[in-house]
Amino acid sequence: MPWPQQRRLLGTKVQRLDGADKSTGRAKYSYDINRPRQCHARILRCPHAHARIKSIDTTVAERTPGFKSIHMVAKPGDELYFAGAELLGIAADTEEHAEDALRAIRVEYEPLPHHVKEAEALRSKGSTVGGGAEAANVTPAGDYSTDNFEQNAYRDAAAVHEAEYGVAIISHQCLETHGLVAQWDEKQENLTVWASTQAVPNTAQQLAQYFKIPATRVKCITHYMGGGFGSKFGPDIQGQIAAELAKKAAQPVKLMLDRAEEVTVGGMRPSAYGKVKIAANKEGLIQAFEVDCYGSPGVGRGATVNFNLLPYVYVNVPHIKRKHQAVRLNLQTARAMRAPGHPQNCLLTEQAIDDLAAKLNVNPIQMRLRNLPPNDQDAIKNAPTTYLALRHTIYTQQIDLVRKMSDWDRKWHPPGQGNGPIKTGLGIALHTWGGSGRGPNPTKITIGADGSVLCQSSTQDLGTAQRTVAAIIVAEILGLDPKDIMVEVGESQHGPSTPSGGSTTCPGTSPAILKAAENARDAFFAAIAPRMNVEVADLEIAPGHVVNKKANQRIPWRQACARLGMNPVQATGDWPTNAQLQQNKELRDLWTTRLSNQGVGGVQIAEVRVDTETGVVRCTNVWAVQDVGLVVNKLGCESQAAGGVVMGVNYALYEECIYDKNSGRLVNPDMEFYKLAGIRDMPQIHVHMMDMPERGVIGIGEPPTISTAAAVGNAIFNAIGVRVPFAPFTPERVLAALARPQGGAR
Amino acid sequence: MSSSKDSPKSGLSRRDFLRAGGAAATSVTGLAGATLETQAQPGQPPASHIPVLGPGPAKISLNVNGREMSTAVEPRVTLLDALRNYLDVTGCKRVCDRGTCGACTVMLEGKPVYSCSMLAVEAQGKAIRTAESLVDGGKLDPVPEKFVQFDAQQCGFCTPGFVVAMRAVLDRNPKATPEDVEQGLQGNICRCGTYEQMRDAIYSLCNRPRRS
Repeated sequence: MPWPQQRRLLGTKVQRLDGADKSTGRAKYSYDINRPRQCHARILRCPHAHARIKSIDTTVAERTPGFKSIHMVAKPGDELYFAGAELLGIAADTEEHAEDALRAIRVEYEPLPHHVKEAEALRSKGSTVGGGAEAANVTPAGDYSTDNFEQNAYRDAAAVHEAEYGVAIISHQCLETHGLVAQWDEKQENLTVWASTQAVPNTAQQLAQYFKIPATRVKCITHYMGGGFGSKFGPDIQGQIAAELAKKAAQPVKLMLDRAEEVTVGGMRPSAYGKVKIAANKEGLIQAFEVDCYGSPGVGRGATVNFNLLPYVYVNVPHIKRKHQAVRLNLQTARAMRAPGHPQNCLLTEQAIDDLAAKLNVNPIQMRLRNLPPNDQDAIKNAPTTYLALRHTIYTQQIDLVRKMSDWDRKWHPPGQGNGPIKTGLGIALHTWGGSGRGPNPTKITIGADGSVLCQSSTQDLGTAQRTVAAIIVAEILGLDPKDIMVEVGESQHGPSTPSGGSTTCPGTSPAILKAAENARDAFFAAIAPRMNVEVADLEIAPGHVVNKKANQRIPWRQACARLGMNPVQATGDWPTNAQLQQNKELRDLWTTRLSNQGVGGVQIAEVRVDTETGVVRCTNVWAVQDVGLVVNKLGCESQAAGGVVMGVNYALYEECIYDKNSGRLVNPDMEFYKLAGIRDMPQIHVHMMDMPERGVIGIGEPPTISTAAAVGNAIFNAIGVRVPFAPFTPERVLAALARPQGGAR
Repeated sequence: MSSSKDSPKSGLSRRDFLRAGGAAATSVTGLAGATLETQAQPGQPPASHIPVLGPGPAKISLNVNGREMSTAVEPRVTLLDALRNYLDVTGCKRVCDRGTCGACTVMLEGKPVYSCSMLAVEAQGKAIRTAESLVDGGKLDPVPEKFVQFDAQQCGFCTPGFVVAMRAVLDRNPKATPEDVEQGLQGNICRCGTYEQMRDAIYSLCNRPRRS
């Protein structure tokens, strides 16, 4: 069952099936669900960055008009570690009454010392983020060196560059906030939730575990989903609160976070700051890369960079030394955000490379071509369609393409050249991502006697046009139009499916859908062949038809389906089990290197215009070339790639969670002071998708957002001739860098 | 729907509301039964025609996509919340809830407004149009049609707001240039980053070629 050699639909531009429903507001998101007798819930949150609860008085609140139920999650004596931590939830008949009830609650706190700034927490020894004895503020998150680094690293150096780079904490800013509607049945035994989630079955399972009831008693529905970007993998505490409140009230409860809550507790991309020392020999080959970096995962733990991928992409640098520290702060715990760690790695690596190239007087494109990692010899033999086997070839082709698309050779100038106060510049950066698929993703296909085709699975469509992906594959195999396929996703009762994280949904579902479509076709042929007095082998699919090769007869699809009589045909398809994949190399190669694959490369060039009098940077163009293996829907791929670039431009120029040192609170939990670009702030975006069908399907979600910020940073450096070290590259920081070229403001 | 903005029957002006709201606030503090005369300024005639609203739910009627819809809401309820929570008209989305992102955009008498930043009681007697009005049976209005054609939407949560804002620009000026349309979308924010595809849709709607 490889992918069809002749592709009629795969790789073409297919409009998303649910586009009309979405654009006319008829698509019902979790936020839009209104159940009969539905109540509304709000959460009371700690206003202090670090505090202990002295007392909670809810007596007045429980007498306010419309009050329905209350659920406590914190109690007097508890220590809370960030502003926004949950104390309790309250449900009332209307949202207005829920707000009133919340306001009527009295809580006394004992404020405790806090930290919300990385550099300060790093300096302060032995105080105060809290969380018990094992919770040091600063924890080592990686320490590595190649052998004899000190002796060898800088021996052949023709140029050495040492500088600090960094990027601030940002928010996912999902437009549909986190939350759900929870409804118990009359016997209070079965729970249905309409949740905004990237993991439909997991959300149901987690709630079942929380309530200690069988998983079959919880159903999760997510027909439409308003953005997740890595922040929505379960019910979260607000899901538990909503379900508890619904049980206590014996009424459905809607609990969606408001905007301030969304930005304060709905997830963040962690910061990363680091000193980088990089050296190259006189041929421009990078000989040494040394990085000492830190970042904050919030009050949680964990690295904020992808430690093993430093330096990023250019992994064949011979002498590497890296150290990373996680700095805990009194703010929400970081969540995965679109290519976790990679944009930070890319900023730390690619900007240092450009600064080094400038010292060597080498064109940034030449610098990259010289230092690309080679195609791996073992991989060429054993796994010839993998990233390892192809990376040098892919990047070389991509650089060549993007160089022509952007007219680099004509436009590029040495850093800082140009007259007048408005400077223009070009910058380049490379990225990589895994994006592998896996199972289980069972998919069921039903062919009806009326010619209808239904494709069902529990996977979710986050805006990735997943319904359309399924329809394209099924239609390709059955010779139909994607519009002919009815696709149902986002309901947990359709069985297990993998969460939509790490660009794994398209590669995880597509092979299973292909298998299901082939099985359905075969079952269909088996059912109708006897009624047509032919062998199954005599039948084949042609567009819109079933062909009886024996009689050289073309039967329109509906007529062929009519031969099914009363019984529709059903078939399922899914991945082999992990054990089967491990034991059987042929099967493993088919599913993980030909039907799907992992590892992509991408290259982006950004063009900026910098006003050196105001410090305002305008990104005017971004050219993006991306490999995703086999392209399923070119239209959807291009959308996601351009969208990734937009998110990257936002990361480079606008976004930052700003925490107030004194109160410890986020001062911009909104959309006016937390800056996101509008249409007129955006560059022209030129996307080129490399279609490599022999590689199989690879995910597209994360990769195209990774290198944009570094490309913009490099373009600014190229424009003004000085490095703005810390993103976002705001006017203030640009002016500071121009005023003090040896180190800008954070 | 035709209605005069000056007619007292056309709804409540902001000034009327604030004055009536003052009376309502008074009654909350225990002076229930206080008449509006107590609110009148010396030298002004008593504003006896001003309906007293709140603090409890008041019956309202809204003209949504050509249909009269009735409900009862407290005067503090925004047009957005009345539409979404009380009338189940959910095409307008609540995202920032404070007049920044445009996801709640509806047309009020043909003008795009942030429905999160207006009270429901103020919208009475005015023709309200939401994204749901841009499809008639299976027939899509050209604006959402181009959004679909060029894939100018991903998660789609901002999309109805963009679509309504764009429809409003083109209704006001059928000869709008792409520049004009982009101007009209400055009050809307998309997080998935569909601006590039939106530009394709805009150029197509304006009958302009885009790129060579």
